[in-house]
Order: sequence, then structure tokens, then C-alpha cells
Amino acid sequence: MNRAALARIAPPLLTFVVGTALAEVVIRILDVSPLLLPRPSAVWTAATSEAGVLLASLAATGGAVLLGLLLSSTIGVAAAVALAASPWVQRAFYPYAIFFQIVPIVAIAPLLVIWFGYGPRAVVAAAAVVSVFPVIANTLAGLLSVDPNLADLFRLHGATRVATLWKLRLPWALPQLLTGLRIAAGLAVIGAIVGEFVGGGGLGIVVLAAMRQQRTDLVFAAIGYASLLGLALFGAVGLASRLALRHWHASEAKR
Amino acid sequence: MRRAWLAALAAFALFACERDDATLELALNWKPEPEFGGIFEAERLGAFEKRGLSVERTGGPGAPVVQMVTAKQVTFGIASADEVVLARDRGSDVVAVFATYQTCPQGLMTHVARGIDTLAALLAAPGTLAVEPGLPYVKFLEQRYGFGALRVVPYTYSITPFLRDPSFTQQVFVTAEPIAARRAGAEPKVFLVADSGYDPYTAVVITHGDTLRSDAARVARFVEALREGWASYLADPAPANARMGPLNPEMDAEAFRLAAEAQRPLIEVANGAVGSMTEERWAELAEQLTALGLVKEAQPPERYFANPESLRAAGAPHGRDGSRRR
Repeated sequence: MNRAALARIAPPLLTFVVGTALAEVVIRILDVSPLLLPRPSAVWTAATSEAGVLLASLAATGGAVLLGLLLSSTIGVAAAVALAASPWVQRAFYPYAIFFQIVPIVAIAPLLVIWFGYGPRAVVAAAAVVSVFPVIANTLAGLLSVDPNLADLFRLHGATRVATLWKLRLPWALPQLLTGLRIAAGLAVIGAIVGEFVGGGGLGIVVLAAMRQQRTDLVFAAIGYASLLGLALFGAVGLASRLALRHWHASEAKR
Repeated sequence: MRRAWLAALAAFALFACERDDATLELALNWKPEPEFGGIFEAERLGAFEKRGLSVERTGGPGAPVVQMVTAKQVTFGIASADEVVLARDRGSDVVAVFATYQTCPQGLMTHVARGIDTLAALLAAPGTLAVEPGLPYVKFLEQRYGFGALRVVPYTYSITPFLRDPSFTQQVFVTAEPIAARRAGAEPKVFLVADSGYDPYTAVVITHGDTLRSDAARVARFVEALREGWASYLADPAPANARMGPLNPEMDAEAFRLAAEAQRPLIEVANGAVGSMTEERWAELAEQLTALGLVKEAQPPERYFANPESLRAAGAPHGRDGSRRR
């Protein structure tokens, strides 16, 4: 392992080790009931001894999250392009996009089950619903912040609207779109798990069952797996943005 | 670091919340309904004040009652017997002192039109079964009968999916969903889970083992007041129902009346001692949960509960130190 990689991995790892060790000690000293707050060591035991179930559930949840993100990024970008088309369209529809930002997913998840049926479809829908807004908002902000000089240049050369969109507006918005996607990724994990609470399957059901059976250790272990999923997605979007932007955008240029 | 801080904070919050004990808090696990009729009737009769007790109701749907009692945030709470066995297995010292339902009111509801007569046939037939994930009795039923061609989905506390799907089965409290379904125009057929052999006491009043040891006399007075309330509620549920009605607008007066009627045979005991429990039934439940793999080891049954009779002698020793010998 080279120095740079070590410098990247060491700080978070150190935080993790010191943090869990401290938690372990404090919980032991205060003698907190495992029902209220499990020791990290107990969570680790649950995470390893139930790894089979947890990994299978993680795969189910992960699949739903990916599909949900695919949906929300497609719909979100399309919606942003439509909204950017004219100030009138924006004024007419943007306020309603806010609905997706504040939608109480816990409240509408049972409705999603009624609309889409039990199973993965409702879960994917829940993931998409909660993750679409940051994509819309960020992409729209990007599309609207195009340098007016460049827009003038395109106009001067008689570029069509479609050409301007493909060659100027979307590339210009790409960094912000990717920021939106980064936010959306974490939300999609939450959405999928809440969707699973009512639609069934995945880590959501593991969490519910563990709570019902008072396995606080397993609840935390499942949350740990969900966090890994969130981290992986965050990393994937980060990698994508590095690959997409490194040759031309300041945010990912060589540092 | 953040984790540790959170842990410390959470622990501190739990200890800081230990209330001084002038008032006894009783955490319910659902909205006011006939399941708690005796409690509201005891309040109406002044049964608590008469015994020098001041009782404050708290909790509600989704309240983590067992955790609240474990942390001594509340003195008493409502749980089911299997929750007591699970919690004690996880290191909590909660003890049951009063069992409202002598027969578990949990059941599975499907449509009459399916012509199914037994639990075994119900679980073997293709269709959808909506249950809360992780319920011990669901695991018991699955082990006992198998779930054949059933698709198991989470229950979301709405009977809409049941009403829409003719091959749907869902968990119920026999005092609640079947009544709602019938009034919504469906013809429900209900199977009591208790008939399968899994029959935990339900709507059990629990307290912390420490409270029981340090304050047995007061716990006994509390339970006596409950008994008075329940005896009166069973004789005439109308006055307490009228008090609960405004607190639970989802149920109208008729729903309250029907539920109180439906639950009566589940509460009444042949020899008259409402709420009392036996070692045999606790031992059986602990064995069942152990066999299901939900509990590592069954405890001696007398650890799980204390009957009012055993508490009445003030300060009667109980529990851990093994001094409750006979």
C-alpha cells in the first residue's frame, strides 16, 4: 500500500477503531442493558454470525436502491431539462417538485404498496420518490447557471436548442448533477429500507424482525450493512464524477 | 469519537430520565381501546387514589414499552408474555404482574368465501399472509404447519389489502380488525393463534424487577386497583368506553361495544381471579420460544412473573436472589 492510499484510509479507520473502543468501554462501565444500547462487540458478533441473512438482504436492498437511483436520475434530469426550458414552465411546475423533497415517505409507503403491489416494485418506487428531488434541484441549478457568454457564442453560431443542450448546458450542469446524485444515493438507501418495511424483503425486514424480537444487536448490525451500502454508492458516484470531470473541471482536476 | 459520544449521551439520557417515584407511570402500547378497559375503569372509580396511588398513563402505538420499563423511565408498561421472555433473555429484568388476556387475542383472518376451516388448511392454501415481521407466533406457526404456497408480506396496520384481495390472510387482534372488516362489508373468518398451542398471556402489565423487590406493597396495591377496574369493566364496559372514545376517534362507540364483548371470554377466569398467571404456562411459553431459537435458555418460570397474591405480603422477596422459595 502506498503512502497516499494509507493517508486516505488511516484517518477514518482510526476514528472507527477509537470510536467503537470508547463506546464499548462506556457501555460496559455504565452497564447499559443490551436491550437499550448493544455493545459494539455484540453488534460485531451479530454482524458476523448472521452474515448469511444480512448479505442476502443487503443484495436485495442494494438492487432496489440501484434501480431506484436509475429511475430518479433519469426522471430527475429529464424534469430539470423540462423545467429549464422556460421561466414560465419553471414557475408553473417547480413548486410541485418540492413535494418530492418533503414527502413523508413513511406515510406514503403503504400507498405505494397498494399501487405497485407487495415486493420489489414498491421498494424501488419508494427509493426513487425520495431521491428524485436532489437530482432535479441540482441539475436545474446547473442548467440555469450556464455562462451567458458561452450561450451567446452558441447562439451566434446558430446552434439549435438540442445542440446547445447536449454540447453546452448538460456538460455545464454535470458537476452539479453529480452532486445531486451523491445526495440522492444516501436518500435512496433510506427510501428503500422504509419501502421494505411495508413492501417486504431486504434489510428493512431484517430490522423490523430484529426489533420485534428485541435483538438490538442485530438491528445495529443491519444498520451497519446499510451504511456500507451507502458508503459504496457514495464512493461509486465519487468515482464516476472523477472519471467524468477530471480532464476539464476544476473540482476534479489533479490536486 | 462521535459514536462514543453518542453512546455516552444516550446512556446519560436514559439514566437522567429515571423519574422519582411520586407518580407511577403506566405506558400503554396502543391507543385507548377495550384492551385497556380495566385501566380506564380503575381511573374512573378512583381505584388508584383510594389506595394512595397516583397513576399517569403514557405511551401509545409504537412506544418501546419494554425498553422504557427496562430503563425505568416508566414504572409499569403493557407488553405481551413473549416480549417478557425475550427481554429477560436479552438481559432485561422486566417482570409480569398482571395478565389481562388469559387467552391470546391474536389471530389470523381470511375470507369466509374461501371455505377454509382449520389453521393448517389456511396456511397450506396459496395466497398472501400479512404479518408483522419477526412475530414469535408466526415463527411458531411456520414451524408447526409450514407456509406451503403462502406469500408472506409485512402487515401495515391497514385492512385495505385484505378487503381488496379474496385470497388474503392477515394477523389480527380478534377484538379489532375482524370487527372493522365486518363493518366494512367483508365476511371475515378468524382463527385464534392460541388454538395452535402457542398462547402467551397478552396485554400483560410489566414492571422492573428492582421495583418489585423494593416496592412490592405498592405494586400489589396497583394490581389490586387494576383488578377492581377489570371486575367493574367486565360487568359494564359502557362508562369506561365513553371515557376512551374521545381519545381514540378511529373507533366509534359501536366498535368499542363490540370489542369489549369479543374480548370478555379471553379475560374472564373460571375461579374469578382476573389477571393471575401460572408457572405452568410461563414455563411452556419459555420452552416454546427456546425451541424456536428465539431465546437462548429458558429461565425458571417464577422469574418471569409475580402474582398479586405473592406480593400482598408487603416486601415479599422475589426473583434474582432466589429467596422466593416455596
